[in-house]
Amino acid sequence: MSDTSRRLRDRVERRALTALTAATVAVLVVVFYYPVGTVLVEAVVVDGRLTLAVFADLLRDPFYLGEFARLFTGEGPVAVARAVAAPDRRLGIVGFTAYQAVLSTIVSVALGLPAAYVLARFEFPGRRTLRSVTILPFVLPSIMVAVGFVATFGRNGTLNAVLSAIGGPRVDLMFSLEAILIAHAFYNAPLVARVTTAAWESVDASAVETARSLGAGPLRAFLDVVAPQLYPAVLTSAALTFVFTFGTFPIVLALGGFELATVEVFVYRLARDLQYAEAAALALVELVIALGVLFAYLRYEAATAVSSRRARPLPRKLLWPDAWTPRALAERAGIVTYAGFAAVVFFAPIASMVLASVTTADGSLTLDHYRFLLTRQQTGAAFQVRPWPAVRNSVLFAGASAMVALPMGVVVAVITTRASRGRSLVGAVAMAPFAVSGIVVGLGLLRGLVFGVEVAGWRIAVAGSAAIVAAHAVAGYPFVVRTVAPGLASLDASLVESARALGASRARALFDIELPLVWPGVVAGAAFAVAISMGEFTATVVLATGTDAYTMPVAIERFIGRRLGPATAMGVVLLIVTGVSFLVIERLGGEVRDY
Amino acid sequence: MDDATTAARRHSRRRFLALSGAAGLAGLAGCSAERVDEGADGEADESNATDDASETNETDEDASDADASPTLTVATYGAFVDAPSVSPGAWLKETFESRVDATVEWATPDNGVNYYLERAASGASIDADLYVGLTTEDLVRADAELDDDDLFAEAGAIDGSDAVRDGLRFDPRGRAVPFDTGYVSLVYDGTETTAPETFEGLLDEDHRGALIAQNPGSSSTGRSFLLHTIHRFGDGGDEGGYGGGDETVEGTDDDPDYDYLDYWADLQANDVRVLGSWEDAYTAWSNGEAPMVVSYSTDQVFAADAGEDLERHQIRFVNDEAYATPEGMAVFADADEPALAREFMSFLLEPAVQGEIAKRNVAFPATTTAALPDDYASLAKEPTTSVTFGYDELQGSLDGWITDWERQVAGN
Repeated sequence: MSDTSRRLRDRVERRALTALTAATVAVLVVVFYYPVGTVLVEAVVVDGRLTLAVFADLLRDPFYLGEFARLFTGEGPVAVARAVAAPDRRLGIVGFTAYQAVLSTIVSVALGLPAAYVLARFEFPGRRTLRSVTILPFVLPSIMVAVGFVATFGRNGTLNAVLSAIGGPRVDLMFSLEAILIAHAFYNAPLVARVTTAAWESVDASAVETARSLGAGPLRAFLDVVAPQLYPAVLTSAALTFVFTFGTFPIVLALGGFELATVEVFVYRLARDLQYAEAAALALVELVIALGVLFAYLRYEAATAVSSRRARPLPRKLLWPDAWTPRALAERAGIVTYAGFAAVVFFAPIASMVLASVTTADGSLTLDHYRFLLTRQQTGAAFQVRPWPAVRNSVLFAGASAMVALPMGVVVAVITTRASRGRSLVGAVAMAPFAVSGIVVGLGLLRGLVFGVEVAGWRIAVAGSAAIVAAHAVAGYPFVVRTVAPGLASLDASLVESARALGASRARALFDIELPLVWPGVVAGAAFAVAISMGEFTATVVLATGTDAYTMPVAIERFIGRRLGPATAMGVVLLIVTGVSFLVIERLGGEVRDY
Repeated sequence: MDDATTAARRHSRRRFLALSGAAGLAGLAGCSAERVDEGADGEADESNATDDASETNETDEDASDADASPTLTVATYGAFVDAPSVSPGAWLKETFESRVDATVEWATPDNGVNYYLERAASGASIDADLYVGLTTEDLVRADAELDDDDLFAEAGAIDGSDAVRDGLRFDPRGRAVPFDTGYVSLVYDGTETTAPETFEGLLDEDHRGALIAQNPGSSSTGRSFLLHTIHRFGDGGDEGGYGGGDETVEGTDDDPDYDYLDYWADLQANDVRVLGSWEDAYTAWSNGEAPMVVSYSTDQVFAADAGEDLERHQIRFVNDEAYATPEGMAVFADADEPALAREFMSFLLEPAVQGEIAKRNVAFPATTTAALPDDYASLAKEPTTSVTFGYDELQGSLDGWITDWERQVAGN
């Protein structure tokens, strides 16, 4: 290589991180902070005047804040604490939303961790495929999940059929808090499993071996060496699960009912009826709580990062052991029990959905719903939504948005793990796309991008494919941050310092040293970015208006008629396309890179 | 005012021009830049408009400038043109185009009328000529949001509009003209239960946990059913509630002390399910979670089409009534083609077209002169009495009614 080109390369490398940071900020401002700002500002600017009246009314309203509203009507904290502890306390909509989110998080972690253990520590045929498709539930529209859940857990559902066949009791799970919790676990336990698996695969085997050689038992070695490296991942996914289930909608109304309505239900209603001040104020309360949880988590992560120099991953155990020791037997019995639960919670609803796509209302098998997709493809008018363009757009957008989300996420991960001051705050603000009400995002994109902004006598509007890709990347990049940052934070800083001392640019050190060491996290982040893009509806439907840029979730929504068959068939197409995409990502990403 | 010149002037205002320098990139990004018109003369626009070569992202009506045939942009909801079973969109487009030298373009933004309200509020151009599928509450909402600035123009003299049934006319200011209506009723599985004939019957022990309704905040069937109960039991004056304090609806139950919130308290005590959307509710009902669901009185049309047992799809008009949900059409005040839009409106009111809309939108005609097959009523049921709240009754009351209901039902 000539000197000139090397110098050029050096210069590019040196500026690379700065340029990427600038680009990331620009994308975030254009397709997220500015649009969302145009909506949220309505909470405090009413009829052109700055006011806190809407907020004050909201905070003092026991309907929303329950007993906590007393805090804002002048009662002391002690009196409020007493009221909250009283048996007849009112949680308010916000309180109840937080309550069900905490429960959902607990259930999701409880169901997700065993899966992570199996996926990270065992070897069995189909393991990589299984790991790839773990987060499939993530992309399913709520109406599909509702179809699957009613068919599985309903009065005449599969679970009751099985229970009555084995002489067990009937269970009435539908339209209860339990149904909502299971649905939230259906969506989020895979997230816990996937993120934790990535962290577990990054644990250095030699550290465990050292501990064992120094006399630690397996449990002690796990608690002292492995567990501290898993906490960040477990807590990351728990924090994200809380945030997602805190902003939950419409699944709560589909499986629970209006008695169990959450904050987002009211944000939706108020926005639909154009009461933007109230909707924005409520969305801000929601945002502050969600960001508060993320911030608290990030503070914890910053305080507890453990250093490691990962050399090689832990060896995997065989699912079918060579020797059936009592310990091996107990472990396998636990796995089988867990597999039973997983089959009911994750597999059965998806299987029911697939079954619904090939059955008529009276239960006989049919391919009519798929025939509908074919017919619509062949004879659908130009102004109608057709399956193939939806599939093609989904795949293109998912690929493109992952390519955008990965560098964005890595840059933000680097900034938030290496910057010393304010990193938790920057980290929390960077996670805002997860924490802002989806309804507010949709409305903001409509106003900020589709309708455009007046600049010097011109109205500049952005819509169509590129805007959708950018919006998907913004929606997905926090996942990359969260799957990459904990790994980066735990890397021994001296690794980068040595590389820098030897003359490598910051970008070179990142690419050659750090990223390979946290590779499982990068691949997991890419999978999430693709999943978010494949399942995204709110932003897509807004930005695709008047163009042919619709995606599979939009097609599903359009195919919902008085009979749900066609929509479920499209849902199965979504499942298959997404599943294949995940497999491709994991193959491209490769197994944990060893060298 | 001369419609033709208005149209021409408005049209010249609405030209989309991509910034020529960044045409490629902007086109890729779906960027468009439009000269903001601030009451300026049309000449400036004309000079910009000559830069046609760089127009990468213009709307279709601009493309049609070249040939003489005008384009009519009809905004509507998705299912009107793109339902998986049948929808009238394609037939209407084809038939209208075969008669009139014009092209019909459908626009189906996801949030319906709200999309155009937002456009108007943001100062963006409307880009459509008329809206098809307006409801009474859409109109109330639009007027409340845009105060004195009307989104829609008066319909004026529309051929055939005298045939519209009186009970369906919902716009006192004569902008929206109804073109069809639906009825919200109970649908029940006759093999499991027999639905009660009165509202009070839904409170019977026999029907405990038997009804699935929808959230009035997110579902139009849910909203209609709530309004039906208000029509029946009155709004009780709403002391201390959000409805303003005055009893605006007395109800037909002859009991001034029992209002819709009392009735809903009783319904809740009898385990009514209130789910989020019609799809949620219908899915649950189809799977046998409960034998009755709030739905449309055309249910048997779809059931018969799918070859299902009609015994499982029985209709009940509670108190022999159903809540009517008339759909109207109105010309945007900012329309480029107001004359053509009005022609389209009168086309929709023609007897044969009314019959086709009813069949293809699975609804009921709005006119008394519609040509329908004699057996249409055998599957699509009409109530003896239809009830519905008019514009004046909903205005200023609807939000309070829903808020009070929400606060009672979701009392966490």
